[in-house]
Amino acid sequence: MVVNTETIAGKVITQNLGVVGGSTVRAKHVGKDIFASLKNIVGGELTAYTELLEESRTEAIARMVADASARGANAIVNVRFATSSVAGNASELFAYGTAVTVE
Amino acid sequence: MRSIDARVRTLTASLLLSVLLFSGVAMAQEGVSTREELPWMICCFGPFLLISLFFAVFGILWAFFYPIMFLYGVVFSERNLNRRTSDLVLRERASIEHFGKDPLSTLRGDHIVGGIKETGLVYASVVFSPSHWQLLIAWINQLFGGSIDVLHRVISVGRAEAKQRLREQAQAAGWDDVLNVRIDTAEMTPPSKPKGTKAVEVFAYGTGIKFG
Repeated sequence: MVVNTETIAGKVITQNLGVVGGSTVRAKHVGKDIFASLKNIVGGELTAYTELLEESRTEAIARMVADASARGANAIVNVRFATSSVAGNASELFAYGTAVTVE
Repeated sequence: MRSIDARVRTLTASLLLSVLLFSGVAMAQEGVSTREELPWMICCFGPFLLISLFFAVFGILWAFFYPIMFLYGVVFSERNLNRRTSDLVLRERASIEHFGKDPLSTLRGDHIVGGIKETGLVYASVVFSPSHWQLLIAWINQLFGGSIDVLHRVISVGRAEAKQRLREQAQAAGWDDVLNVRIDTAEMTPPSKPKGTKAVEVFAYGTGIKFG
């Protein structure tokens, strides 16, 4: 169970297992980058980048969940996301939250 | 992901190897210039020739295409923005009809009287960019200062799109309400590449709930 509120309604947090996180650094291939820069001239949505970020976000969340379940948690509360561009056209997606056990 | 990494590594290694081979041959050739060694030279020069050919072709195409696309942006970017705005209004109305109200809120959920059956994460994002024409207008505008309405409009449309996608995600996943919504805006242009693609990513996320 992954939520970005501090508590889970109807459940009681029994144990706090600390901060867990997951991140990915991803880049699309050069062809898509060129296409995106062409699309950039006329403006509007850059679908290739939207897809890229969606994929990486899913992966970051999956890694965070794996980290939490390795600690024996059954829920993550107060999830936050951060994005940064590391170098070139690679972007880092970071998801973090507090792993807890709930009943 | 790992397989792509391996491929990139092989490619880099083979390129480095060809550079080494080329310099080795060049060193061996020093002072000697026989015609027999020409195929070797071509063999080692091959990759570099291909790369420079690619850049030359790309540059020529760019010189023709850029003005055309820029003009396309001048003519159509405003209209596209208007069309997307009116499209968004319709989609917003449809999802408000589905939920009975605007499902998104930044509340923590303490106000909910009845029980909550189920919770889960919902998120949606969009990468949005102004056209080069709009960037030019904005650049001229920022010489005089004040509010830069062109960029403001672009980013508001992007943000509205992200929020609408969040509503649609919530609808698709069958949530009744979305609590604690956060909207993040991140720049796609890294500081190391100031002339790169100018775009912003708007990312909206929240906790979907089902009433008990």
